[in-house]
Amino acid sequence: MACPYLEYRKADGARSFDHERAYCAAAETFVQPMRADICNNRYDLDHGQHCEIFQAHSEGE
Amino acid sequence: MGYEAYLDADPVIITAALTGGVHGKEANPNLPETPEEIGRAAGEVEAAGASVVHLHARKPNGERSFQTERFQEIDDAVRRHTDDIIIQHSTGGTGAPDDVRHQPLRTDPPPEMASLDMGPLNRYAHLTSGNTRALVDSLHAEMIDRGIKPELEVFNDGHMNEVEGLLDRRDLADPVYATLIFGPGTLTPPTPGNFLNAIDNLPDGALFNTLGFGRHQLPFPTMGLLFGGHVRVGLEDNVYYERGGLAESNARLVERVVRLADELGWPVASTAEAREILGLEEL
Repeated sequence: MACPYLEYRKADGARSFDHERAYCAAAETFVQPMRADICNNRYDLDHGQHCEIFQAHSEGE
Repeated sequence: MGYEAYLDADPVIITAALTGGVHGKEANPNLPETPEEIGRAAGEVEAAGASVVHLHARKPNGERSFQTERFQEIDDAVRRHTDDIIIQHSTGGTGAPDDVRHQPLRTDPPPEMASLDMGPLNRYAHLTSGNTRALVDSLHAEMIDRGIKPELEVFNDGHMNEVEGLLDRRDLADPVYATLIFGPGTLTPPTPGNFLNAIDNLPDGALFNTLGFGRHQLPFPTMGLLFGGHVRVGLEDNVYYERGGLAESNARLVERVVRLADELGWPVASTAEAREILGLEEL
């Protein structure tokens, strides 16, 4: 299951794009495409293990 | 290569790294992501003076793709928009399994060049792009089978040892071509002294390409020009033209390094000259 903070949006108020792009609701920003692979648990990547943003927000909950 | 080469004014090969695989339009809306955008950008940088384009592939939403089919779309678009630019595919891919890293080599025709990351590279807090020796050898073997010239990406001084190790293990056609990379994180610290060390540590007869990441994209290619090297610029490595000002295009970054070369009296290599210098087959 992908990161619970992952959203796909076309805009964030400041910027807009032709396609929906990976957006981190925890960091409140669009994420780099490389990081989106972590958000989506692609290949051998896992947001629980590899994303410091998820870890920081999970610890704070 | 060195200052003598500068005085002799050998033509400089300019590589344009158009898109990359880390940041995207969220960093600079002018960064090309689709095959058509990348193709148009390739035409613009060729007109500006680049003779090589370094390419990554992306999905429509900007996220990374390693699929042969996606690289094929990009190559087709590049060829529609350019005369005879040299295509160089990236085989980089943090977090991607080794078999996926081979897919960019399998277009038809194959790229004339492809990158070979010479060792590990840290990303974010928890990731390392492994780039084991076994993967380097595997990628190189397929490059040889397909007639692809490797561009050795030397991210730090230790990777120069890896270059020597590769030369011990495998036959690389002359000239060996290494991109020396300077910047933050796992890259070589961006100092003039480290630049001089890096070129001193090159294998005999090797050519070097100069890559300064981020704000180092202007000073390090300048040093590369002065010391007989080749240069790489582009939005993959740097999204700014100046402090606080996003670059309008890859072409503007190429135009600037062409102006530098012109001021230094350094001829910019045509694609035909670049092929000759790199030992690539004539088209």
